[in-house]
Amino acid sequence: MKTPRVFGLFARRERTALVLAGLAIVVVPILNAFGVVSDLNLNLMGRWFCFALAALGIDLIWGYTGIMSLCQAVFFCLGGYCIGMHMLLKTGTKSVYGSSLPDFMVWNQVKALPWFWEPFRHFPVALALALAVPVAFAFVFGFFAFRSRIKGVYFSIITQALALAMWLIFLRNETMLGGTNGLTDFKTLLGFQLSDPSSKRWLYVLTAVILALAYFGARYMVGSKLGKVLVAIRDSEHRLRFTGFPVTRYKLFAFCVAALLAAIGGILYVPQTGIITPGRMDVKSSLEMIVWAAVGGRGTLGGPILGAIGVSLAYSFLTSHFPGSWSYFLGILFITVVLFFPEGAVGALAKLKLRRGKAKPAPIPEASHASQSDDDARLSGTVLAAGAGTALTASAETTLTANAATTNASAASATVEATAVLKESV
Amino acid sequence: MNQSHNILHAARKGLGALALGLAAYSYAPAETPVKAQEIVKVGILHSLSGTMAISEVSLKDVVTMAVEEINAKGGVNGKKIETVVVDPASDWDLFAEKAKQLVSVDKVAVTFGCWTSVSRKSVLPVYEGADALLFYPVQYEGEECSKSVFYTGATPNQQLIPAAEYLMSKEGGDYKKFYLLGTDYVFPRTANKILRAFLLAKGVPAANIEEEYTPFHHQDYQTIVGKIKKFAAGGKAAVLSTINGDSNVPFYKEFANQGLTSAMCPIMAFSVAEDELRAMDTQYLVGHLAAWNYYQSVKVPSNQTFVKAFKAFAKKNNLPGGDKRVTDDPMEAAYISVNIWAQAAAKAKSFDVDKVRKAAYGLTFQAPGGMVKMDEKNHHLHKPVLIGEIKKDGQFKVVWKSKGLVAPEPWSIYTSPDKGCDHVEHEGTYTKAGK
Amino acid sequence: MLRLSILPYLGAVLMSLAPLRAGADAPAEAGRPASTARDSAQRRPAPGTPQALLDTLLFNPDTRTETVTALLASGEAGLQGLFQNLFKGNVYEYAGPESGAAGRMLVIGGAEEERDNETWVPLLRVLPMEPLKTATGGPAYAKLVDLVELETDREVRAMIQPVLTAMDLKSPDRLKRKSAALALGETGDAALTPLLKTARASETDAGVIQLMDEALARIDLKSADPAARAEAAARLGAIHSVNVLPELKAMVATDNPAEADPRVRKSVDKAIHNIESFQSFTGAVQNVFTGLSLGSILILMALGLAIIFGLMGVINMAHGEFMMIGAYATFLIQGAFQKYLPASCFDWFLPLSLPLSFLAAGGVGMVVEMTIIKRLYGRPLETLLATWGLSLLLIQTARSLFGDLTAVSTPSFLARGWEIFPQVVLPFNRIFILFLTAVIVAAVSWAFYRTSLGTKIRAVTQNRSMSSCLGIATRRVDALTFGLGTGIAGVAGCALTQIGNVDPSMGQNYIVDSFMVVVTGGVGKLAGTVISGMGIGTLNKFLEPFLQSVYAKVVLLGLVILFLQNRPSGLFPAKGRNEDT
Repeated sequence: MKTPRVFGLFARRERTALVLAGLAIVVVPILNAFGVVSDLNLNLMGRWFCFALAALGIDLIWGYTGIMSLCQAVFFCLGGYCIGMHMLLKTGTKSVYGSSLPDFMVWNQVKALPWFWEPFRHFPVALALALAVPVAFAFVFGFFAFRSRIKGVYFSIITQALALAMWLIFLRNETMLGGTNGLTDFKTLLGFQLSDPSSKRWLYVLTAVILALAYFGARYMVGSKLGKVLVAIRDSEHRLRFTGFPVTRYKLFAFCVAALLAAIGGILYVPQTGIITPGRMDVKSSLEMIVWAAVGGRGTLGGPILGAIGVSLAYSFLTSHFPGSWSYFLGILFITVVLFFPEGAVGALAKLKLRRGKAKPAPIPEASHASQSDDDARLSGTVLAAGAGTALTASAETTLTANAATTNASAASATVEATAVLKESV
Repeated sequence: MNQSHNILHAARKGLGALALGLAAYSYAPAETPVKAQEIVKVGILHSLSGTMAISEVSLKDVVTMAVEEINAKGGVNGKKIETVVVDPASDWDLFAEKAKQLVSVDKVAVTFGCWTSVSRKSVLPVYEGADALLFYPVQYEGEECSKSVFYTGATPNQQLIPAAEYLMSKEGGDYKKFYLLGTDYVFPRTANKILRAFLLAKGVPAANIEEEYTPFHHQDYQTIVGKIKKFAAGGKAAVLSTINGDSNVPFYKEFANQGLTSAMCPIMAFSVAEDELRAMDTQYLVGHLAAWNYYQSVKVPSNQTFVKAFKAFAKKNNLPGGDKRVTDDPMEAAYISVNIWAQAAAKAKSFDVDKVRKAAYGLTFQAPGGMVKMDEKNHHLHKPVLIGEIKKDGQFKVVWKSKGLVAPEPWSIYTSPDKGCDHVEHEGTYTKAGK
Repeated sequence: MLRLSILPYLGAVLMSLAPLRAGADAPAEAGRPASTARDSAQRRPAPGTPQALLDTLLFNPDTRTETVTALLASGEAGLQGLFQNLFKGNVYEYAGPESGAAGRMLVIGGAEEERDNETWVPLLRVLPMEPLKTATGGPAYAKLVDLVELETDREVRAMIQPVLTAMDLKSPDRLKRKSAALALGETGDAALTPLLKTARASETDAGVIQLMDEALARIDLKSADPAARAEAAARLGAIHSVNVLPELKAMVATDNPAEADPRVRKSVDKAIHNIESFQSFTGAVQNVFTGLSLGSILILMALGLAIIFGLMGVINMAHGEFMMIGAYATFLIQGAFQKYLPASCFDWFLPLSLPLSFLAAGGVGMVVEMTIIKRLYGRPLETLLATWGLSLLLIQTARSLFGDLTAVSTPSFLARGWEIFPQVVLPFNRIFILFLTAVIVAAVSWAFYRTSLGTKIRAVTQNRSMSSCLGIATRRVDALTFGLGTGIAGVAGCALTQIGNVDPSMGQNYIVDSFMVVVTGGVGKLAGTVISGMGIGTLNKFLEPFLQSVYAKVVLLGLVILFLQNRPSGLFPAKGRNEDT
């Protein structure tokens, strides 16, 4: 009985996601080309999508597997640094000092390029390393940690210590990675001028495409047997271990995938931002990434993506219009979400709708037991967070309330409506 | 069964609202066209939260005050100045983003901002790309020469070199050994590179120079002070400190508590000004030295007016600290920035970046600490150099001052003798002929 | 030449111990009519007298150097105030009703006073140094801006410096005496020997005596007589004079040694050996102490965390912010002392702050427990997130309340340190924290194992429902436990004001370290925290001299991670069958 229902839902959900992806990949860049969406905003969205990639990784490892890793920003930055090193070498003598060495090496009185910079001269090698280094790092660290069955809060605290240690190392100028200033002054990537708006647009499109692919990939993964095992690990690791599953291997796999997604985010982030510094990988950054997933709704795939975008939007908005208020906002957001919306905004909204629709009091899954079926509902809830900083909250809510009556709308009309709302807004 | 429909609806509405949100965010709030005629916008890009807020908030305050003063006198070119304050939150990536926003969305005529070198480096491509103007008010490591930036803080030869020269002089104590201690980032690294080159050039043997860096927020200076003690044991040793921010208190405390005094081994600080001294228990710092271009204690009438005005401003606006607030070198530099820009815009009768830039060359301004002059070519200020001794009340007693103004050298002659900075006859950094 | 010329002056200085500071201490000349003073200023003084020289100093800026030399040579004891203030830049040209016929006069500026937003300076005559009177007999004041500073160049200041140094030998401040002895020893000037000997005879402080002996031996080390040199080297070796080590080494350097006489060199070699073996001994002492000190700080920080984490399973990321609350409580109490109590009581602010910062942080902690934490028991990761959010709120609140910059002073009884050997000073503030930690650890273990509250706390953490059945108010016990943990954090914050900063984000510097200590120690016993804190502290300090501080810390974090590979639950794991611990 259950199967066809789930199957149908799956199709609808995919369609919803496809509409979003289509919007992001096709419509927004076209609007940008016609000057409707400014370069600045396109660039912002591109960067938020990078964060969304990292958040998606966090969802896999935390939301599904139940492991809270507090060093995801490190993986993000490892990817970013690799690609940054490549771009910096390509800047060559066009830098401030006019030396073939990166600027920071000149003021650090380095005469020759350190050996570990050499491979980054070539893009394919740099890209391969940008993907391989974070994953290898995650593999080695995860192997030892999971093997000795460090878990729960202990794992979180150790990953946090790791993040601190890595941050300290990257801050040092002896590390030859630019110290506090990090890497900046990038000019070209694969021969394209980074300052050119069209390069930026293509980078944005690439990011959006990869995010969409990652989302569908993750969707497939959690729907497969593998996904079920991961959820089982989260819910009762011991039982699974006694059943004979190689739990360590599964955990390691999830950890590596999360690191990979973070690294891809980092790789795409750096050319769009133009700078990568250790500030991106401090203890706080990793925690912020966790917030994205928590706010959006962990254990769903859409939630963290929208959480990342929504929180970043709020960050950008608040720091411009209410200077100094960011910490309050973030702090309150944290506490509120944990206390009152443990399933994230998406889950909270579904709950709200259930109550309004006077539906049977279906058991709302606990945070750690969130099931996939709430996924789409969680998507929408994030918008509240996203809109919280903007004047749009009111209008968004109006739309939601207006639509609340039509509980039986079909998937097709959903799509139409979403597009309509978009048209109105444009 | 109903649940799935509910969920779907929520999702659909979520989508709509998200799209709406993003699209609306893409639009900048429209300006009212009437008002735009009467005002000119300037950006303030200083961290108001996060780790750098400790230093940068004061700069925002002083820039706001300078703008108010100019507006009270009728503004510039018949327009009132309006400040656009953003908070880059000590996040270097956000600096670039906010700079882009100021330049492309708010379309500010000029930006006053940044403190750390990394934030300046982060926004540099934005200003150069958009041909916009940034005034940077902090003493820095030099070795930069951007057409889009006016540097109103000291270059190394306006701070580091005179300080080292002073310590080596008979009057300064005839010191022979130098411990270069800094926080690990670009300013101390470059500063110490230049200092080392200078000391070696003056015949100080390499064995008498020690160099060490600690991370940001380092708190435990026991081991390092122990090392300094050993280093200073033979006498005639001084510390040249580029320690930043909150590491200073533990350092000076440990230094004093392990029995070292300014008479045995003075610390010459390049990053400790009045504003930082407010946070310190000064009994440990008395007698130690600092090198700047301005002190609140400078005894000239223009400074008294400035100090009084700032205290009144802080009190009026209920800023934390109220009239206990102090002024210091970067604040004076920020104040100079606003005034030089306003003068240049008035002289150019325009806010056009290129015209303002050209008009700024060679301008003089009666700054709080005395007359200063914008260089004709290299975008840096000619400033006096003052060495001050820390007093118990957190103020400085000037113990040495340069004769007249010291010309800025963005490229130190000790480390880059072949390089110069010139935006009139050259395109910024150039290689000197004959080298 | 110069040094010889100032000798008569030095003698005069040392004979008279008149107050040296300008300002309030100047002897009031009661009963002396103001007109006399004015007359003397107007009379033309005889050439060559100090009075005449002062006039020259004022009116002939070109011969200033020569004039100061002559003044130094005059031996006039009353001039010491002039020299001190000349060096500090407090000597001014003054033109006012009191300056007589010449229109200008030389004055010394006293302590600056703020009145009506202007800086005023009380004026003093130069010779004799006494308050200048106005025509009505009141003290004369001038606005600081109206005075012209008598500019002195480097040369003048350089001449005055040794005079001031020599004067410091009689200073009541032992640190000044030490610096002076050190500086005089460095000159190696035989002419200073009598001066040093006189001062040595009346000196009582062992540290100063050490430096005076060193200075005397150093002077002898430059003697022409080889026997005297050898004997001086032996003396220096005997008193382990680290300061002279570079000089001694230069005397026996392998290439181009400064000392030719083989007998002297032998004695010097022996002295070097003495000093160096002493140095390595004191180095070890210092290392152990710094390690203990860091360890005690880590324990103090981690103790509260260990209680909250170990007993309640709450990951309190805002722990550092509770330390911050304690630090600000100390700051406020200090402010209250400054405002409402006489200066003589000021030192008592710290002893009072300790319990009050405990109450402040503990109180806030209990409120937090009752509003936030109680909803999250059994979900440690959620507590991590919520408390991190809380920490952001607390930091920003502190920032808007106090601004970014604040200072807490050290009470006088904690300033400086205990000089156990020459060159080895154990700072009192660190010793204080070491003791404080010991006391608090003892108090906490007493509270846990000897009081009924402790029994209840342990009972609740072991079996909540059973405790509840037995009539224990579990909710109240939870709140009290959390309050105890955060209160200890508050005390840690209060203690840390004596070492470092008070700023809103100070807690962030310590949080990861504290967690490492707790995790390494395990949550089963308090002893775990103590052992791991001391272990991490001393290990860090033994690594630091070899690696730089950053790498020492990184290596340490690596070691902790490796350690946890073997013992995932730390040194003393909690015993139980819970699958998630």
